[in-house]
Amino acid sequence: MAELSEFGFRPGLSFLHRLDARFKLLFLLLLSLSILRAEFRGLVFFTALFLFCILRIRISLISLIKEMRYFLLLLFFVFAARALTVPGEKIFQYWQISLSRQGILEGCLVCWRLFAVVLLGLCFISTSRPSEIRGAAEYMLRPVPLIPEKRVGIMLSLLIRFIPLILNQAKETAEAQRARGIEQRKNPVYRLMKFSIPFLRRIFEEADGLVTAMEARCYSENRTPPEYKAGKEEWIFLLLAGFVCAMVLFIS
Amino acid sequence: MEIIRTENLRHRFSDGTYGIDGISISIRKGEFVIIAGANGCGKTTFLRHLNGLLMPCEGSVMVDGISVTSDPRRARQMVGMVFQDADSQIVGETVYDDVAFGPENLCLERAEVRCRVESALESVGLSSFGDRRPHLLSGGEKRRVAIAGILAMQSEIFIFDEPFSNLDYPGVCSLLEEIRRLHRRGHTILLTTHDLEKVLAHADRLIIMQQGKIVRDGLPEECVKGSDAFGVREPFASRQGMELSSWLN
Ligand SMILES: Nc1ncnc2c1ncn2[C@@H]1O[C@H](COP(=O)(O)OP(=O)(O)OP(=O)(O)O)[C@@H](O)[C@H]1O
Ligand SMILES: [Mg+2]
Repeated sequence: MAELSEFGFRPGLSFLHRLDARFKLLFLLLLSLSILRAEFRGLVFFTALFLFCILRIRISLISLIKEMRYFLLLLFFVFAARALTVPGEKIFQYWQISLSRQGILEGCLVCWRLFAVVLLGLCFISTSRPSEIRGAAEYMLRPVPLIPEKRVGIMLSLLIRFIPLILNQAKETAEAQRARGIEQRKNPVYRLMKFSIPFLRRIFEEADGLVTAMEARCYSENRTPPEYKAGKEEWIFLLLAGFVCAMVLFIS
Repeated sequence: MEIIRTENLRHRFSDGTYGIDGISISIRKGEFVIIAGANGCGKTTFLRHLNGLLMPCEGSVMVDGISVTSDPRRARQMVGMVFQDADSQIVGETVYDDVAFGPENLCLERAEVRCRVESALESVGLSSFGDRRPHLLSGGEKRRVAIAGILAMQSEIFIFDEPFSNLDYPGVCSLLEEIRRLHRRGHTILLTTHDLEKVLAHADRLIIMQQGKIVRDGLPEECVKGSDAFGVREPFASRQGMELSSWLN
């Protein structure tokens, strides 16, 4: 499970890779806000744009869909909920269950919007190094009072580092127990206890070890600041993105 | 000149066992010291006192004339430590970030950080691994990342806790080469192992521990005689009465 490969940074030299992460974060905000208000015409435009970017970053669409299968399932439920509950002109009825035209349209719209946001997020995640994202988040939080942005930055990076570790740990614990025949036991409560106690203990030990490792390498909040590289390109893109959002909102 | 000095160092764990029990030692600047001993004899516990990860229950540790208890941060700047378990040492989300973590904590300039990271990755043979995610690497590769992370800090003193475990033959050779280079440049090196064959020929001094105490301390060729009694295999060449041979040629 730690190999969620499509949803991670992939090195490359495309224009998206070269952009400053702070601006990319800004685009992310701007575009997702306008996606959530866009109608079909706007969505067609955005989807085409993101698919183009995804192809440019060389992510294979097939593996993408495979990785997103649970998300697609979720989208289907969202769609079904909409289609079945929104009142309107009935096109199909069976006993108490009825599908309405408006419901289907609205369901499609909502699902498409969510899907487009995920594609956008994918474009962002796969072209920005985790350290750049952390730097960008630190930068954006700087003017916010009462939030220690450096600490938030370090927490972000630890989180990114820790999630695969926890998943790995879960897998290893489960494998170790299977190797010793836990499947002979049918009682689910027994199995859960036998799994969760060593699992939690290991996670805490791991966290403790991480603190030690950071201390051993002189961790303090006073560190070399993250690197930013905004130039003319970034501002042009920002203008362009602003213009696109305005256009999309206008036509829909 | 003396760089590390411990006096009657004892550490008692919370369950009552003594990890180390009365260690007094003095290490000169630029010395290459090997600490050997069976599993559980207290090597790791001892080394963790040198950069303040563990604090002594009794006795004192001085690094470069200043007590570690009073200024652990300074001790950590002077002493770079490669952990026995590489997994627990990696903190970065990519290989590059992990190696840069130490230099960034030292508040170095960005350009200097990059330069150090690149040369550290180069010397462990991972130049092309910068963007890989550490948790997906093999055991030996993780160990190399951990070593690069310490090399990039360019500390005065290097501690390697069982650095050769998990490494393949070329990996052992390039690490030995790197350690020898550091030694020649005047860094002080402490290395623990229970397999003397690989390194003994390069060391200046051998310390053998047993049950938290130092039982032998001196020149490698002399100390190693009969080390089997302490759970450390005497190298083949030494048994045969020959000169210790290096893995590097
Ligand atoms: N946190 C702890 N709590 C209790 N006892 C501990 C703890 N850590 C280590 N010990 C005990 O202290 C002794 C010395 O451990 P240490 O890790 O220093 O051994 P080592 O020489 O590094 O062994 P190895 O060659 O296996 O790495 C062992 O007997 C161990 O069981
Ligand atoms: Mg040890």
